[in-house]
Amino acid sequence: MPAKKRPAKPKVLVYSTDYCPWCIKAKEFLHENKITFTSINVGTSTKAAQEMIKKSGQQGVPVIDARGAIIVGFDERAVRKALGMKPKKFKLW
Amino acid sequence: MVKKEYDFGIIGAGGTGLAAAMYAARLGLNTICFGTSHGSEMAIGGVITTTNVVENYPGFIRLTGQELADNIRKHAESYDLVTIREERVESVTKDKTGFRIQTAEDSYNAKTILIATGTKWRKLTVPGAFELENKGVAYCALCDAPLYRNKTVAVVGGADTAAKDALVLAEHAKKVYIIYRGDEIRAEPINRMRIKQNKKIEVITKTNVIKVNGSDCVESVTLDKLYKGTKELKLEGVFVAIGHDILSELAVPLGVKLNEKKEIIINHKTSETNVPGVYAAGDVADKPFKQAITGVAEGCTAAYSAYEFITRNRITSD
Repeated sequence: MPAKKRPAKPKVLVYSTDYCPWCIKAKEFLHENKITFTSINVGTSTKAAQEMIKKSGQQGVPVIDARGAIIVGFDERAVRKALGMKPKKFKLW
Repeated sequence: MVKKEYDFGIIGAGGTGLAAAMYAARLGLNTICFGTSHGSEMAIGGVITTTNVVENYPGFIRLTGQELADNIRKHAESYDLVTIREERVESVTKDKTGFRIQTAEDSYNAKTILIATGTKWRKLTVPGAFELENKGVAYCALCDAPLYRNKTVAVVGGADTAAKDALVLAEHAKKVYIIYRGDEIRAEPINRMRIKQNKKIEVITKTNVIKVNGSDCVESVTLDKLYKGTKELKLEGVFVAIGHDILSELAVPLGVKLNEKKEIIINHKTSETNVPGVYAAGDVADKPFKQAITGVAEGCTAAYSAYEFITRNRITSD
């Protein structure tokens, strides 16, 4: 009997451009917290840019699609909340 | 339990604040530096992170603003005496032995304070600019320029930031207007020359944008005088670079004196304000020439002044 396929976990997508500092910070944050994500460069793909504009209703980067929650800009608290992460209590660099 | 008593509390973690933290640690000061992880105010790394190319910081011929900020941050955090917190400072008040810093999450005590809160982008306030923000009206060319590939855009402003923004935009857009109210743009000579040589860039002087037009996104701007026979300039993006607003509000309750531009008045030899134990440096301070390099120098000067203040007054933690 074939094994039942698990429903795919919704993805985390980061719509970004190459040199945008907040895009870089958003991706660093996801890396540091071991969140698998797909980075989508809206500067090189018109289709991706249109997708981002359709999802977020605006044209600024970054836009984070955190498993369905659309977050404009890098708002760490909003990302943590959307991904069910613990709120940050204390962070030393 | 985490110790929350510090010698030197720095509000703002841009290049100025981070450099001051590094220098204070070298002087043996237990130092805490506050910045935010997101937003356009007091972000860690500071406004330099939105500059694509920095060519005027000694030791680096050419690097991005983000790289420069990262280098300064790494230098600061290489000292055990430096703590950097991603917390938004809500108030600073004077207490018996120094100052109390209240953030959204916690409170901290510091014997001395450096205000290095910098600035935030000044908003364009003409009709349509607020309604169409992020729908064609943008404030970060470095971030959003690639979204305007083969489109026509304008930069509003005439200082060096406006020139740099126009040059970044010209890498992607098919046409870039610089619209400036003054007689001639005020960019550094090297950037003025680059603007002049770039065939995609057209400078419109002695002209103001009085309205941004569009329903769902920017479609045109209205000018206050005719340009090539029309007051309506068709374009798809408006990048605003009309200067910065000073973020000095936290200093006011301490009795720190500001000038008419809301800049903190400092002693340019020592970075001291009129309030003992309170220093200011970087873009928030009253000086005509504001660069990363000058902010860093003032931050280090403030660290030394704080060290002298603590030593002279023999302030102890007990």
